[in-house]
Amino acid sequence: MNDRQFRRHAQHLLFAWLALLLLMLASLGSAYLPLGQANAWIGAGIAVVKSAIVVSLFMGLWRAGALLRIVAAVALGTWCILLALGGLDALERPRQPADVQAPQQVAPQLREER
Amino acid sequence: MTDATTLLREPWAGLERQRQAGKFGIWVFLASETLFFGALLLTYTVCRVEHPDAFAAAGRETNIWFGTINTAILLTSSLTMALASQAAAQNGRARFLILTCLGATAALGLAFMIVKGFEYKEDLDKHLLPGANFALPQAGAQLFYGLYWLVTGVHAIHLTIGIVLVVRLVLLGALRRIRLRGSPELEVTALYWHLVDVVWIFLYPFLYLVERHA
Repeated sequence: MNDRQFRRHAQHLLFAWLALLLLMLASLGSAYLPLGQANAWIGAGIAVVKSAIVVSLFMGLWRAGALLRIVAAVALGTWCILLALGGLDALERPRQPADVQAPQQVAPQLREER
Repeated sequence: MTDATTLLREPWAGLERQRQAGKFGIWVFLASETLFFGALLLTYTVCRVEHPDAFAAAGRETNIWFGTINTAILLTSSLTMALASQAAAQNGRARFLILTCLGATAALGLAFMIVKGFEYKEDLDKHLLPGANFALPQAGAQLFYGLYWLVTGVHAIHLTIGIVLVVRLVLLGALRRIRLRGSPELEVTALYWHLVDVVWIFLYPFLYLVERHA
């Protein structure tokens, strides 16, 4: 890479960084809008876009060879399977959240047992 | 002595082969890290679906300023790390630029840890550590903060390792013990650093932007 190519590439990285900061501010601003469940989806969506910028430009996956792309695709695919199976399992179960026992309730009982 | 002979390590016969193997190895490691943090995020999502009100109340207790400042710091550190990596790939005399960018990256990583330390202190003062004196009445809020301490703690450990790796490169480079230009070690360290950044990119909306409008 010669000096001219480096300067051009550094410029791309600088634009990517500005885009990342703008996306961060967008997700921050959107969190204060009363959009219901859409707030969570917007936050997660912007996080996906930001991570795609980091992975493709900063980590160089955009210019990487086939082997590294396959590794990244396998990781992403396996994560999607994990999310799909885990998410489906959680959503399909009847909504009966277990009572979480507060430690304030447990502590006196433990003291009595001692 | 040429670059190739300076940078070449056992058991590799050529520098390009060594570089490819290093990149492949770190990408496989990063893939396993993605699944590790992915499982934690899935756990968070399931708990949030089960206890939406408690997670909303707990999420509003996190300090959004500390979280946002730290996000900006890590994104900027990724820029300086990417610049260091690119400077190391160019043909010109870039040693000073590489060292400056690596130094800035380590400094930004330390700044992140300092801000996180202030945030942890505030959390402890507000009794947001799950246990007997937990501040929030909703039982599900303890699940949120259990996951909060777990994922931010594991992330902080990863970042600390990243800072040590970058400082090592800066010291060895400044003492001319290794050649940074074209160094596979620098490339691998940069990839690790960026993954730590990607993890935080996901933690930011999940921990700090929950039900802020309420």
